[in-house]
Amino acid sequence: MNDPNKVWLLPPFGQGEPKAFEAKPEILVPAMVAGWTQCDPPASEEVKTDVHD
Amino acid sequence: MSTTRLQELLIGFGKGKQTDIATANLVANIWQLKKLNAQLANPKLNTENDADEYGKGHEFATQTFKTSWDVSGTLEKYLSAEVSAWAMAFGLGKVVKSGTTPNFTYTCTPLFPANGDASELPYFSFVEQIRPGAGVVLDRMAVGCAVEGWTITVGSGPGRANSKITVEFVGSGKLTDPSGITLPAATLEKLLPSAALALSINGTDYVTNKNVVSVETSWKNNIRLDAGFFPGSGFQTPGDATTGAIRGRLEFGNRQGALKFTARFDNTSTELTKLKAQTTGTATITLTFDANNSLAITWQKVSFATAELGETDQIVTVAVEATPMYDSTNGIVSAVAKCGVDGICQ
Repeated sequence: MNDPNKVWLLPPFGQGEPKAFEAKPEILVPAMVAGWTQCDPPASEEVKTDVHD
Repeated sequence: MSTTRLQELLIGFGKGKQTDIATANLVANIWQLKKLNAQLANPKLNTENDADEYGKGHEFATQTFKTSWDVSGTLEKYLSAEVSAWAMAFGLGKVVKSGTTPNFTYTCTPLFPANGDASELPYFSFVEQIRPGAGVVLDRMAVGCAVEGWTITVGSGPGRANSKITVEFVGSGKLTDPSGITLPAATLEKLLPSAALALSINGTDYVTNKNVVSVETSWKNNIRLDAGFFPGSGFQTPGDATTGAIRGRLEFGNRQGALKFTARFDNTSTELTKLKAQTTGTATITLTFDANNSLAITWQKVSFATAELGETDQIVTVAVEATPMYDSTNGIVSAVAKCGVDGICQ
């Protein structure tokens, strides 16, 4: 499960790598206004299921 | 013979956004909510005829032609955490979802194409039904709808009517009849009543000083309806040019925000001083059901455009209209809506 207090945003115009932001309005709003848009977390951020039985 | 009473009307609409203007919401992405107004989202077929054409020997029409389709509607509702999250996300256009059940947080801002954002708002489908199924009276779905604007009004008094939202929407004109949608049970909404208000405008806390009488705030997208018809925008029935054109896009125009309020006026009141000085500050309107369900709208920079003294129930009040302005860091407006419903505008 991903951290619910963290969101991943893509830079303006989709140029660049996604970046994690703290999910607080004072942090998100300036980024959103500047053109950052929400995206899926990178695959490496997904918590892998423990398959050891 | 039975009559059909409007109380039977069911409405449902996309909780999530459509993938594009022409692709309807799937049933899993549609929710049912109640509303207050009786108005139906009647599709309007625009037609023309051949009356002005020469060669018929007279000036009368002999043929009509389906030109285009319009859809528009209004939702009037008691303000709730759920519908406010939906209206902010679809009305402003840009949303970041965070949190997890039962506390999803939707941070919403307007779209800014200059910074790479789209010029089209997220689309949703709107369903109206009366006795769907074998005894159907009405069952249709408008596909490709966008929020034209919302207005939130909070007044004095204990009743639910003192905290309401009105959402206007327009559609691409595309219709599905019958809708093919089985609406889910109505979502139980968490109301945000007037008594839950916190209001801070331009440095004054109007709830702490017990002076607020009413507040109204709104957003309008001024969607460019005419620009929705462009060469190739499509027809009601794809590939059939006799079925009337539909819009292939709904772009927002010059958007407008508004904030006005009425407050009691006494010797400590500062509205007239701030009007003369054109003092600027933020305006934050917050309504809270509980820690997991709330709405906070922030106008990032406002000054007072008018401040007129009057009376409310024989008490001196000041009616203020504020001018929302663009802040270079935080933009014009933001909304943080919390509720227990996942997937709004996703």
